[in-house]
Amino acid sequence: MATLHLNALGKTYPGGVTAASEVSVEISDGEFVVLVGPSGCGKSTILRMIAGLETITEGELSIDGARVNDREPGERDIAMVFQNYALYPHMSVRKNMEYGLKNEGLPKAQIAARIAEAARTLRLEEYLDRKPRQLSGGQRQRVAMGRAIVRQPKVFLFDEPLSNLDAKLRTQLRAELKALHRRLGATFVYVTHDQVEAMSLADRIVIMNAGRVEQIGTPMDLYLRPASRFVAEFIGSPSMNMLEGRIGADRASVTFGQASALSLGFDLPGPAGHPIALGVRPEHLHLAPGGAGGIDLAVQFIEQLGADTVVHGAVPGAAGPLAVRLAGVQRYEAGAVLSLACSAENLHLFDAETGVRLAADAV
Amino acid sequence: MQKRVIFRSRSLPYLLVLPQIAVTLVFFFWPSYQALESSFFIEDAFGFSREWVGLRNYRDLFADPGYLRSFRTTLVFGLSVTALALGTSLGLAVAANRVLRAAQSYRTLLIWPYAVAPALAGVIWYFLMNPSMGIVAYWLKGLGVEWNHYVNGNQALILVVVAAAWKQISYNFLFFLAGLQSIPKSLIEAAAIDRAGPIRRFWTITMPLLSPTTFFLLVVNLVYAFFDTFALIHATTNGGPADATSVLVFRVYNTGFIGQDYGSSAAQSVVLMALVIGMTFIQFRYVERKVTY
Ligand SMILES: Nc1ncnc2c1ncn2[C@@H]1O[C@H](COP(=O)(O)OP(=O)(O)OP(=O)(O)O)[C@@H](O)[C@H]1O
Ligand SMILES: [Mg+2]
Repeated sequence: MATLHLNALGKTYPGGVTAASEVSVEISDGEFVVLVGPSGCGKSTILRMIAGLETITEGELSIDGARVNDREPGERDIAMVFQNYALYPHMSVRKNMEYGLKNEGLPKAQIAARIAEAARTLRLEEYLDRKPRQLSGGQRQRVAMGRAIVRQPKVFLFDEPLSNLDAKLRTQLRAELKALHRRLGATFVYVTHDQVEAMSLADRIVIMNAGRVEQIGTPMDLYLRPASRFVAEFIGSPSMNMLEGRIGADRASVTFGQASALSLGFDLPGPAGHPIALGVRPEHLHLAPGGAGGIDLAVQFIEQLGADTVVHGAVPGAAGPLAVRLAGVQRYEAGAVLSLACSAENLHLFDAETGVRLAADAV
Repeated sequence: MQKRVIFRSRSLPYLLVLPQIAVTLVFFFWPSYQALESSFFIEDAFGFSREWVGLRNYRDLFADPGYLRSFRTTLVFGLSVTALALGTSLGLAVAANRVLRAAQSYRTLLIWPYAVAPALAGVIWYFLMNPSMGIVAYWLKGLGVEWNHYVNGNQALILVVVAAAWKQISYNFLFFLAGLQSIPKSLIEAAAIDRAGPIRRFWTITMPLLSPTTFFLLVVNLVYAFFDTFALIHATTNGGPADATSVLVFRVYNTGFIGQDYGSSAAQSVVLMALVIGMTFIQFRYVERKVTY
């Protein structure tokens, strides 16, 4: 059980690639923090710096207040679950779990007790004497988890542990992982590129882009008040619609192209004519009662998902596509025009040049 | 997946393996048979007449203290060459594996000795260690070691062991390096997180995962040291001094071509053949049981 402080961590690889810079996160005891971001954004690099597998080239890392930058991986009291599980192929499941404990010099009886306990909670009892190659992907995953649990470390690190599994198993293990966290009460740092995984697991999400932290917050913070266009588009599925436009002459509307304009009913910061992006989530748009709404959508195709229907189309006058998520089964022909509305609190405005959220207080 | 090929025609498969069978028959079975046959005869030195003697050649052989000493020499020689060649190349491969980027040029450099003919390898070491002009002998003198493999049997044995091992190191190195590189890095990292230090990691993770490679090389090196070092010994010590480096293969040649005792030479060949077969058998039994994981 531990706190973990990342203080302006940075990593420049020997080749000159800067994979992470100025990453500062304060993780409190027992927290489940998920690092999420697109491929190559430096998530694994940060996790590996925490584990001690990569040297830290800038900044400071402390566990429970003690600086650990120069400690060996084995001296940091952490455990890690790798994407490919990294089970020792020549050892049985039991031996895999024993390995770290033996290295710690734990008495035999205690080792046996911990393994029995972990095997019971992870339902691995009947596989203890098998070799990793005789297990299914999901079972291997659980063994990897067990190897971490028996160590009783201060911090658990996970690098995309579910990404090699099929969708159904992933959902199931996600729930088990969450339950495990609750039961152990330990500090978890979890890396994934899957925003659904991040949203469902995390107490707090650290969303990264090109080696930098874009935003840190609870899943709902990120969903409701994305700090940048990048976060807005990354979180949520289907992703947030972005309409590019300019601040209108009255500074309370957005103009698209020549003709169409959208009146917002509140004042925008910034000069008239400044390029902005107007974001709205597909699930926050709804059919305007009486057919008179703010946005017209020319339907192109629809996706039937059963519980709801995603309608894809284009807004005449505005560049770019738009998607709407409507409850239940809906049928529209291509070419039909829908009139849509959205409440003002669900609109997100971003500076089109910097991507920074605008008018956070006005909205 | 179906791996086996199904042939329609019955004769085609036989036709396809025919060349292989022919080569084996002509170059292996026929000479083997000849050796086996000769070992039951005593032939006069000019090959004009021979006499059936049954197992006498074998009886004489195992009653000859020189032959038994050769067995011991071969054992010492073979095990030393294998240990030296495997140990050195493993050390080099581990070092090379740490600096992956440099490995390419390193690898090219290290393969060179393998291209050297055995006799030449022997001659190179012969000159390096020549008591009157060899540089290594000179260094050894500097260290207070009086080196003269012409008179000192142990030193002669060391010389051939070093020369034979040197030639095999590059080959072993390549296999060890390939084996090391095929071990996923994450396993070593997982072990580091599991509090294993570098040495413990090496013995508990790297070596077990390298065991198929090691075992393969062990067999190759033993076979090489036992049966494939004639030219090297012939070119350096010529079996001497006083039989000190006369390993079994060398003795076969010496008995047959120098001593002109074909019967005994043939009997020795048969003993060697039996050894090869025995070693191969052990290899396959062992490979199936222990090394795979
Ligand atoms: N050993 C290395 N040497 C040089 N550059 C590296 C090294 N490892 C990673 N990088 C670079 O650092 C950047 C971040 O890599 P990292 O593995 O942290 O990404 P990631 O966010 O984990 O991506 P993914 O989701 O694909 O796993 C990438 O541009 C990558 O090319
Ligand atoms: Mg990664």
